[in-house]
Amino acid sequence: MKFLFGFLLIVAVLLALPAVDFVFAAGDEPGKYLDRRVVIWNLFYKMMTVAFTVGSVVSGTIIWQVWRFRESHPKAKPTSFEGTDW
Amino acid sequence: MSGHSNWPEWIYVTVVIALMAWVGAEAWEAERLVEHVPEDAKTIIVTGQQWFWTFEHEDGTKEIGELHVEVGKAYKFEVVSKDVNHSFNIHDYVVLMDAIPGRVNTVWFAPDKVGEHDIQCREYCGLIHYNMRGKLYVEEPSH
Amino acid sequence: MTLELQKPRPIWQIMFSTHHTDVGLLYLISSLTFLFLGGSLALAIRAELFLPGSQIIADSMTFNRIFTVHGTTLIFLFIIPFASAVGNYYVPIMVRYKDMAYPKLNAIAFWMIPPAGVLIWLGFADFTWYATPPYSIISAPGPAADMWIFGLKILGISSVLGALNFVVTILKCKHPDMSIGQIPLLAWSFLSSSLIIIVAIPTFAAALLMLLTDRLGVSGFFNPAMGGDPIAYAHLFWFTFHPEVYVLVIPAIGMMYEIIPRFSRKPIYSYNSGIFAFVMLSLVGFSSWAHHMYATGMSFTEKTVFMVGTLAAVPASAMHVFNFVATMWNARIRFSTPMMWAVGGIALFFSAGAGGVVNSAMPLDFTTHDTYWVVGHFHLFVMGTIAFGSLGFLYYMFPYVTGRLYNETLGKIHFILAFIGTVLVFFTQHILGLYGMPRRIYDYPPIPEWIAMNQIASIGAMIIGTSMVIFLANMIYSAGKGKLADTDDPFGLGGKYYYPFEAKNPSH
Repeated sequence: MKFLFGFLLIVAVLLALPAVDFVFAAGDEPGKYLDRRVVIWNLFYKMMTVAFTVGSVVSGTIIWQVWRFRESHPKAKPTSFEGTDW
Repeated sequence: MSGHSNWPEWIYVTVVIALMAWVGAEAWEAERLVEHVPEDAKTIIVTGQQWFWTFEHEDGTKEIGELHVEVGKAYKFEVVSKDVNHSFNIHDYVVLMDAIPGRVNTVWFAPDKVGEHDIQCREYCGLIHYNMRGKLYVEEPSH
Repeated sequence: MTLELQKPRPIWQIMFSTHHTDVGLLYLISSLTFLFLGGSLALAIRAELFLPGSQIIADSMTFNRIFTVHGTTLIFLFIIPFASAVGNYYVPIMVRYKDMAYPKLNAIAFWMIPPAGVLIWLGFADFTWYATPPYSIISAPGPAADMWIFGLKILGISSVLGALNFVVTILKCKHPDMSIGQIPLLAWSFLSSSLIIIVAIPTFAAALLMLLTDRLGVSGFFNPAMGGDPIAYAHLFWFTFHPEVYVLVIPAIGMMYEIIPRFSRKPIYSYNSGIFAFVMLSLVGFSSWAHHMYATGMSFTEKTVFMVGTLAAVPASAMHVFNFVATMWNARIRFSTPMMWAVGGIALFFSAGAGGVVNSAMPLDFTTHDTYWVVGHFHLFVMGTIAFGSLGFLYYMFPYVTGRLYNETLGKIHFILAFIGTVLVFFTQHILGLYGMPRRIYDYPPIPEWIAMNQIASIGAMIIGTSMVIFLANMIYSAGKGKLADTDDPFGLGGKYYYPFEAKNPSH
């Protein structure tokens, strides 16, 4: 349990560090202009990659659940609450 | 209901928070980069009014409904409005800024290729909002 | 549990009643009426946009009026009254009280809705659902605009009165044997959303008055020509209406909390985290209003603050999804119509939320702001999550209200068609927005991608329209001629269902 929290904390810091680093390293050279399309669409594709990954995990889980835990599934068994006054 | 261990949910929430922190950091960084206007950017005053765009270059020349710029130079738009809210948008260059009466909003871009692009109004401004369109011409430098 | 008297009564006895189930029924019928009215306007919009050029709507002014009234109707006259209907039926029962705390106030709150609806529909204003100045002051034609302002004013008062009633009923009239930590999550959702209403609505009420006096020319709060600032209105408006988003979505999630455990034949995974997430959402909902205004020239710092405030709402929303998924784990789920709507709603809730994260990630706003992406995004919320939860709950309470069963097959067809339609319309609109099509436009240039996607969206809308006709027929027929329901267990789930305060859960 503690290990997991520590692990996630490290992962979070590792993700945040490069971003912070980049900020202070960014220069400002005259004559060379930043392409806002590149920056913005890059950010968009990065976010879409994450969104679709997370989304497929979430919807995959829900779809699997819907298939597995439907009452007509061959392995469906009564929950421990059925027949009790819950 | 309470009484049972809830650690999977705590892990899950931690992951979500970490993810949001990452999203925030990335967005912050990108915004910081695109907001920084280059010092040598040329100013173009963009005026929105029902229902057309007027562009005034630094040398005083005015254009209505179309805008000519040169490739490889940076331009800073000062977006203003004469009547109601509009939103100045060159979608191909991801340029977007609201034209609010009484305010001067700035946004900049540096076209990198010769070509024609659509200019449109993206904030509802009334009857002919749907056709408050213009053209951006990116041309070779004249000198 | 029966929610409505089953013997027929003259209609005036229901209309002049102050009993909570009667008022609930009135709320229900009026909200569904406005659902169909507002929905038909949506179909008109989609038909017009099927191809570039003028299709069925003669001019852009008519089109602008249609989308304004479409939005106003479905938000204020369908979603909010529908939630009130559910709250009226269920909250007193859940807190074990004989009625709402103030029955007459309850009836008054309902009876403010029809005149407001009439004002909005007879006026048919054109300044979009957020009436943005200076357009709404100097350009919007009266008396339509003024009628809209008065209509919204009345609706605001009605919401506040309804919210006060819910808060007092839950906090003061609950059975003394129950603690606040024992009332069902549906009642908790009404407590949270009512508190948001009470805090948020007065701001907009003030802004409406200022807008009206500006229109009359006696003040210039938002009129730049008189030294006012249109952005001030935007702040006041969104300070009310971003939290209002949570007012809309929280009851719908509460309804899912009622449906999902019931059809999973399991108690909710974590009651406490449900409460925690509701309370979090209703607090954090107030920290994000200006993310609607990034493009109005806000400073970098302001944008950062509101982006963080927006992202802060994500963990709480995600906790609800986790709770639903964990509840369905190891369950034995009966997929009756209400359960299908609830699960479909959760699935779309994720996409809607992900789109919201993109909107609030500052520079991405340049690509999405005021395009069809935004239209797709918030419709995934209002249609995909809120209307899905609400319609599911309508099917769920149908046997308790009418004593009869709806037609299960037609209910499932309704769900499947509406789900397909929703995906077709609103996911396509996201992509359309990335291609740069602005929202609120009557006509568009013949760009091939725009045409193709508008056509997909229009076809999707027609599918939803068809499903709604099936729904209407099912409801009307089944209410009168449907099979009689066993009101103890209309869905054949077996066993007896108790609310948490009566629970004898082995894990307690």
